[in-house]
Amino acid sequence: LDLPKHGLDILPLDGTFTPVYEGTGRTPPKDGNGNPIGTGDYLWRVNDHGRTVRELRRWSKLDVEAYEEYGPLMVDMARFIKPILAIVPPDPASIDPRPLLPLAGLLRSFQKLTERQQAVFVQLMTMSAFDFLSQWFETDPLKATMAASGIIGTFQGVRSPGTAYVLLHHYMGEIDGAFRAWGIPKGGTGGISNAIASAARANGVEIRTEAPVARIRVGGGRANGVVLATGEELDATSNVSSVDVRRTFIDLLEPGSIDSEFESEVRRFKFRGSSGKVNMALDALPNFTALPGEGEHLRGAISISPAVDDMERAYDDAKYGRFSAKPYIDIVIPTLVDPSMAPPGKHVMSCFVQYAPYQLDESLGGAAGWDLQREAFGDAVVNRIAEFAPDLPSKILHRQVMTPLDIERTTGLTEGNIFQGELSLEQLFFSRPVPGWARFKTPIRDLWLCGSSTHPGGGIMGANGRIAALEVLRSKGKRT
Amino acid sequence: MSGPRPEPAWDVIVIGAGHNALIASAYIARAGLRTLVLERRDRVGGAADTTRLAKGVRVPTLAHTVGRLRPSVQKDLDLKRHGLSLVAPDVRVFAPSPDGSAITLLADAEKTAVAFRLGGSLRARDSEAYAPFDRRVRKLGRFLDTIGRATPPDIESPGLGDALSALRLGSSFKALGRDGSRTILRVLPMAVADLVAESFESDALRAVLAWRGVRFGAVGPWSAGTAAMLLMDGAGNDGGAAGETVFARGGPGSLSAALLAAAYEAGADVRTKAEVVRITSRDGAATGVVLANGEEIRARGVVSGADPKRTLTTLVDPVALGPSLGWRAGNIRTPGVVAKVNLALKRLPTFPAAAGDEAALRGRIVVAPGIDAMERAFDATKYGRWSDQPILEATIPSLTDASLVDGAKEGVHVMSVIAQYAPHALRDGDWADNAERFADAVVDVLESVAPGIRKLVSHRQVITPADLERDYGLTGGHPLHAEAGLDQFFVWRPMLGHARYRLGIERLYLCGSGAHPGGGITGGPGQNAAREILADLRRR
Repeated sequence: LDLPKHGLDILPLDGTFTPVYEGTGRTPPKDGNGNPIGTGDYLWRVNDHGRTVRELRRWSKLDVEAYEEYGPLMVDMARFIKPILAIVPPDPASIDPRPLLPLAGLLRSFQKLTERQQAVFVQLMTMSAFDFLSQWFETDPLKATMAASGIIGTFQGVRSPGTAYVLLHHYMGEIDGAFRAWGIPKGGTGGISNAIASAARANGVEIRTEAPVARIRVGGGRANGVVLATGEELDATSNVSSVDVRRTFIDLLEPGSIDSEFESEVRRFKFRGSSGKVNMALDALPNFTALPGEGEHLRGAISISPAVDDMERAYDDAKYGRFSAKPYIDIVIPTLVDPSMAPPGKHVMSCFVQYAPYQLDESLGGAAGWDLQREAFGDAVVNRIAEFAPDLPSKILHRQVMTPLDIERTTGLTEGNIFQGELSLEQLFFSRPVPGWARFKTPIRDLWLCGSSTHPGGGIMGANGRIAALEVLRSKGKRT
Repeated sequence: MSGPRPEPAWDVIVIGAGHNALIASAYIARAGLRTLVLERRDRVGGAADTTRLAKGVRVPTLAHTVGRLRPSVQKDLDLKRHGLSLVAPDVRVFAPSPDGSAITLLADAEKTAVAFRLGGSLRARDSEAYAPFDRRVRKLGRFLDTIGRATPPDIESPGLGDALSALRLGSSFKALGRDGSRTILRVLPMAVADLVAESFESDALRAVLAWRGVRFGAVGPWSAGTAAMLLMDGAGNDGGAAGETVFARGGPGSLSAALLAAAYEAGADVRTKAEVVRITSRDGAATGVVLANGEEIRARGVVSGADPKRTLTTLVDPVALGPSLGWRAGNIRTPGVVAKVNLALKRLPTFPAAAGDEAALRGRIVVAPGIDAMERAFDATKYGRWSDQPILEATIPSLTDASLVDGAKEGVHVMSVIAQYAPHALRDGDWADNAERFADAVVDVLESVAPGIRKLVSHRQVITPADLERDYGLTGGHPLHAEAGLDQFFVWRPMLGHARYRLGIERLYLCGSGAHPGGGITGGPGQNAAREILADLRRR
């Protein structure tokens, strides 16, 4: 879509800095004179391979060897898996063999992999992130930080089977030729949306904001337009919904528009939002005791994932209906990369937090209880970061806490699930969002899905929208 | 090392004499191959064994039920004639809770549902959902049984596409119907807690049904892939939602005795106290074994009944195996979390939830107070601790088989308890210091549903995961030889490329629970492996 022309400017995100507990490091980092740099330790991976390896050597020589082998293997895996994301999943119960053809091609490329690569691929699809990584690495904070990418947005722990494959997402960017896989768009993630909107307009799309759709109009088993909240009616021959599957079929359709079996499948689709967001305006940058000062380490992601047990305990809290007392936090300070986002000298700190289960325990008031727990949750996040950067609380000017309930209210994402539905194995591919209905069309003719509720799931990569568009065009007999 | 070597004295050497190894041996010997079974212990049977716990009191040592044993194995090896006698009580499961209520699952699902309704403790919706749930488990189980009887397809063969489409279009997949075939793909990777929650509201009922999804696994009911374990447990038998409860009269050891007799009759030779310490190989092919006493025995093929990790990482020459396969074998997951506690009881304990109905206690007594309670018990293992509120599956086999206590005082009973979760690797201390404390915790849980039982215990035997590893050679103390997770399933059990019973090097075979279709007293891996071994080694 030529997004850079439309203003998309992705600024590189430099590495991941993981502060760890005092005493858990191997050989604490020292300055040029041999004096310890700070108190406590850290694990810092940067986008410079040589530097990362030197840093890792401090922790484990074995892990350095493993790291050299692991990276290329993952790139191979990502290269293999990428075409899967662009496939329209076949219906396994259908007797039409044509949709199975891409699968046969996939099988042939699978057979071309070495036996070890094949085995690793199977492990990626079935194992927990922790078990998978433990085959290579021994450094606990390394495993915790790498495994974290397997649980983002899911109601799973790093030891839960099925979390390994998300590790691959980190290697997806590299095979596009971009040296740095992760980045922050200039102007915040809104920058991406604006660039895409601009591209859409350039192609002749009309975009109306503040136009909430109240209902999808259905007549004779066919969707033929929408009714806005204002009562205005719009006619359309194709209706494509990017909101999640539950909102589309339960909230936006007249009851009785879909058959009861399909409806019960939709109701069974699991959302289970598990993450929250805390944004802070800071008077000045925080100081991490392990590496004081305003160094480069603050320019990348700061991962509060000091130990695998901490990650798992954070999940345990959520399983029983509580937000994590010591959550996993992924911190970015975008103002270091893009100072235009705050007044001079001031900073913004964006914290992605897990776990914050949408459904709190009944003793906390269930989902509605979040309105009473919001600030307690915010405090838990600040306190958790303050374990490693004790001066943070004194630097906070403003704090915004987004609970899963808030995410649901403001964005319409059911249960605050950022991926429009849990990315668990039984809700992927053939079965996303409903078994037999994974091909973007729905039981109602001319109504299509294009959001993250569909294959290949969530994350800002745009694959769902692209494949859905191709399917809609195909049905209209239009060439792409 | 050149020149022709004399023909080996044996066609096949089988390492170990567990139930799968004996079954494989019987099938192989029956086909005319000279077969030698070498068992490290002084007795055969492995986990299917009976122990004398006190004077005149015998108890199932490890496994306590044998209901999953394949009917075709029983028939082919004529086990009835060899002395196997089965006892199947009408009550499959009794799940008491401390508040005096109970869930009882009978052999017949409709009767179970009627009893639910009359019992009044479950909502009408749950009673109505039970029979359909049972039918669904049976239907999906039937499909998994056809998978279980097959040798996993060869992933390398260009015909795999054909194999898969054959599978897809095959009669069994077709028999599932449109919904069934979609359902199976959706259900297999699910968490069993989600599966049971789709049908039932009662936490107590959900928990007792979910138990079979986590039994013997280092997983909790919220772990993905546990629904598959539940369905596999009912594959190829009359399990259904309740699961099988079948005892071997005289204890599980009598099954092993029957299998031994069948193997002998087929012509196999069996030596006990013969520990294999090495599998010899030449030019990448197995040539025989070396025993602990230094004796070398040659054979045309070697079949391991030991677990795959032990076989490949301790018995096979690492050079023959190569570093890549060695690395993969070393990463086979074997996280044992099960301990066994066997009790001799002075008299039958009282379960208030049974309300004096002794027949209720004849099946498996499952103490799994709820999904969260099971998950919490599992949580402990993640941090290297045993659960102080373990989940239990107990049986009182002396209720249906008096021969187990025929030398004891009137009224004496035996209780066999599978206790989970107890991880093999403890973070603090070792199992020698923890075994009795864990057994105390087990008895405490029993006390909560059968007050007074503690005082009835006259003898107690505790078998920890460390014991399972040391005494039975189970790596990690895992009773299924390898974790039954999604990552070690079907085409990749125990490892991708090695699921067709041929393991690591040429003419080395795997016939135990570490092979497809996995663990439990089923005979499945042994029967399937024999078929493949004969295809390779049968003299034409």
